[in-house]
Amino acid sequence: MAPPWLDVLDETIGACITHRRPDLEARLREKRAQQLDPKLRVLVVGESKQGKSQLVNALLNAPVCAVGDDITTTVPTFVQHADTPSAALVRNASARGSIFHTPTERIAVPIEQVTKQATAQHVVRAEIGIPRALLDSGLVLIDTPGVGDTRSAHTASTFATLMQADAVLLVSDATGELTSAEMTLLKKVMEACPNVTVVVTKIDLVPSWRSVVERNKALLARAGVPAKLIPVSSALRLRAAKTGDQRLNTESGFPELLACVQRDIVASADLLARRAVAVVASSAISQLVTPLREELTEHDSSRTVATISTLQEAQRRVDELRRRSARWQNVLNDEMADLISDVEYDLRDRTRKILREVDRTYDEADPAIGWDKFEQWLEDNLNEAATTNFAWLMERAEWVAAKVAKNFPVYREDLIPGSVLPDDLLEPASKLEKPKIEPFSIPQKLFTGLRGSYGGVLMFGLVTSLAGMPLINVISLGAGALFGGKSILDESDQRLKRRQAAAKAAAQRHVDDFFVKFSKDVRDSGRHIQRSLRNHFSTLAEELQETLLESARSAKRAVQDDQTERERRLREGRKELDKLVTLYKRVQTLGGPAMELTA
Amino acid sequence: MTLDRVVWSMLQEALAVYRDSPRATAWLRSHLERYTEPVRIAVAGRSRIGKSTVVNALIGDEFVPLSSFTWYRGGTEPRAHVFSGPGRPHEVAVGRRGHRHHVEIGQIDRADRVVVEWPARTLRDIVLIDTPSEASPEQVLGEADALLYLMRHVQDDDLKFLQAANDHPIARTAAIHTVAVLARADEIGAGRIDALSSAKQIARRYRRDVAVQPLCQNVVSVAGLLAVAARTLREDEFAALRTLSSLGREELEDNLLSADRFVGEQFPLQMEPAVRQALLERFGIFGVRLITALIRQGFDTQVKLTGQLVQRSGLGELRDSIAIHFTERREVLKARSALLALDVLFRMEPRQNARKLMADLERVVASAHDFRELRLVAALQSGRTKLPGDLQTEALRLIGAEGTNPLVRLGFDYEADTREQREALLDALVRWQAQAADVHAPHDQRKAAQIVVRTCEGLLPQLR
Repeated sequence: MAPPWLDVLDETIGACITHRRPDLEARLREKRAQQLDPKLRVLVVGESKQGKSQLVNALLNAPVCAVGDDITTTVPTFVQHADTPSAALVRNASARGSIFHTPTERIAVPIEQVTKQATAQHVVRAEIGIPRALLDSGLVLIDTPGVGDTRSAHTASTFATLMQADAVLLVSDATGELTSAEMTLLKKVMEACPNVTVVVTKIDLVPSWRSVVERNKALLARAGVPAKLIPVSSALRLRAAKTGDQRLNTESGFPELLACVQRDIVASADLLARRAVAVVASSAISQLVTPLREELTEHDSSRTVATISTLQEAQRRVDELRRRSARWQNVLNDEMADLISDVEYDLRDRTRKILREVDRTYDEADPAIGWDKFEQWLEDNLNEAATTNFAWLMERAEWVAAKVAKNFPVYREDLIPGSVLPDDLLEPASKLEKPKIEPFSIPQKLFTGLRGSYGGVLMFGLVTSLAGMPLINVISLGAGALFGGKSILDESDQRLKRRQAAAKAAAQRHVDDFFVKFSKDVRDSGRHIQRSLRNHFSTLAEELQETLLESARSAKRAVQDDQTERERRLREGRKELDKLVTLYKRVQTLGGPAMELTA
Repeated sequence: MTLDRVVWSMLQEALAVYRDSPRATAWLRSHLERYTEPVRIAVAGRSRIGKSTVVNALIGDEFVPLSSFTWYRGGTEPRAHVFSGPGRPHEVAVGRRGHRHHVEIGQIDRADRVVVEWPARTLRDIVLIDTPSEASPEQVLGEADALLYLMRHVQDDDLKFLQAANDHPIARTAAIHTVAVLARADEIGAGRIDALSSAKQIARRYRRDVAVQPLCQNVVSVAGLLAVAARTLREDEFAALRTLSSLGREELEDNLLSADRFVGEQFPLQMEPAVRQALLERFGIFGVRLITALIRQGFDTQVKLTGQLVQRSGLGELRDSIAIHFTERREVLKARSALLALDVLFRMEPRQNARKLMADLERVVASAHDFRELRLVAALQSGRTKLPGDLQTEALRLIGAEGTNPLVRLGFDYEADTREQREALLDALVRWQAQAADVHAPHDQRKAAQIVVRTCEGLLPQLR
């Protein structure tokens, strides 16, 4: 029948697979294989120079492990049962190069060779087999390099071996109580393998070893480490073995240690296995539970927060759009009113300038001469004024469009309308009427001249008749001619004035007509522009609002969906967690009390 | 100007610059005072490693260890002062407790410092500071010029402590102040009779270890209990030990197998268990084994035995080491401490008018020949710089790795007269000049040769 711990372990492995933790799974499988292996690995650890190798030697009554005053052990040495003594070095994890197999008598030699060879590179561990009753039951003693040595490779190999141990003997010598480094080591060991016995060595050397043992016990109790403490002396034991002195053997403390090994390790392999499995499995489950628990709390917080914040953002943007759309309409109205009044003023200014020019011209010139030219000039000027003015209008309109667009909350490619102009714009204004020009014909001139000369002839004829001259004489005729000429001149001057006035009036009328017509056109275009801009932007705003509202709606939906999804996952997670916690409780019942774990 | 005069004048100058700051003045005054004192050696290490035992062995008198920093300095008559908090120290009596001296600090539980003046020959050249094991490297080294660091085997914690001791930039350029001691040498060898020679071998290995070597000048092994025994062996103890050694070898060995057996009821000799217990506490099981063996070998008078014990316990070697590395280098060590103190001052209270002094400090640290020699020693020993063949050993000897006495530097093992020394020196000078001018040699080798040449030139005036 499979032991109960096997089920638990298998289940834990299953949980590791479900939670996709191949690393934990591999570790547990290793432990499983190791626990199913009938061999019992007892690891001897401690700081350097505490007498670990000597302890192994004394336990077996054979100098299998090299001892020395300097750092001696450099690789883990596995000592196990064999019918004939043999030794081997393991070079790499895979390639196991057996260097020699030798019979009993020469055991000292190979062991020395083992140590010598062990310092060579790539040697991972040494394996020694000797026939001993102690090892019969499948016990394997593992001597390790000292921890805390300056050459850290040694320490690393010790910790690597620690993972395979079923039980641990922590060695500390009696020259001093457990140091803080040793306590740290002890706690580390407890994490990987809970079956620890502290062995206090070298009690032969220290007169006050009893007080050291007492202090160590107090230290262990204070740290809450449930480890047994056994004082021994390897030197006495080896000597007793040599002389066969039973009393010395008892003094060495080894009988107690051996009994302890027999009772607590060999005989209670099942308990050890349960405890070891309990520790490993519970550490694995704790590792599974931690992320799961975090995930559960995570659900409550981060993801929902994200969706809610999306929703809030969408709503905020809708509000923003509303606020801004009021603003852009105001901007459009104000700007367009400004624009039209500015453009009108500009047009009036331009036409006035033209009129002043016309006045100046016809103060001097005679409209009768070159009217056609004048007409052309006036037409050109008015056209230019209109074009410039209109171009300005367009420019301003585009600027207004840009300004309004700037007040929009989002940027889009088609934000500024392509064309805001009405198509049929400038209709030509009415033709300039030609003013009435009275010509000053020859008969009229003659008549006017005669009328003027009549007075002169008469006036001077009467004066000269007093002097006895006839009425018509040379003087009166000369005066008549003079007066006639004057009259003609006066008359033609007056006519010119009249013509000029008429021309001015005609120009004035024409310009007025032009102004009225064109300003109407400009106003119309302005309004047209305003209308088309308003249409354009309000369409845009509507589209935008629709988009935003849609995104807000979808965010709201997402929040609702999330809630359902979360609840579902929460339920699942809780179920998983509960399962793990149950498993953990089962693991706990395997071996003694351990740390609490709650859902 | 020699290094110590340069540093002395720097201290005086700093005193002038900082005369308006009471704190700086007090600091500088204490260092001026310290400058003329003997070398202060702190004894540090983990708890129960045997610091007090080594201090006792060096002084040659047994003191009951105290829980605070305890200074032992030379004096004409036994006196002790307790420094506790601010205020003046007060004098306390030095009494006896059994065979040991005891400083009656009474109800003062934690004194900052207890200073014991003691008439002992050793204390003429040095001041010993016994430190509590929980003291940090800064605390230990703040007041000391040199450090004896006690350990069993070199472990990571020990290296960390030594590295911390070398952390300061000036300390690094002049890493000259540490001797590591494998204390409890008897336990290293598991109490076997040959334990001490085994410990010596391990010390030798550590001397060559790349991790240890840059951190200390030397590694020696000392069996503390034995060393104390050598200095303080009493008549009655000697008599008891003689009685013990009269026992048959086998029988005695059996009874010395373990401490328990030795003080047990079934002892073949008529000797009070209390006496045996006292012997065990004083000398340890290993001490009793070794001493009885020595007596049996013929060192049967107290004088003969004491001589043997001093030599075997490693105390002799330790004293030599202290002499070579600390006492003979007093000027350099003191200069180093003073430079460190100046550096601390300049960092704490930087000033415009201390600029010149700061530059001086940097220049002295970088250029002082004594420091250069020591840096070269470190470089050669750690393998950063390599010289071909015998030149390496000769260079180390000339620049004073084995001692700064001209005789030692020139490699004489007898008292050669001045003329002979002078000839040897001129010979070395010519050879090293050639080495320094060798264009084929790598740059660092030529640099090293230049330093050796400068050393030889410095020796010349002494040998007129």
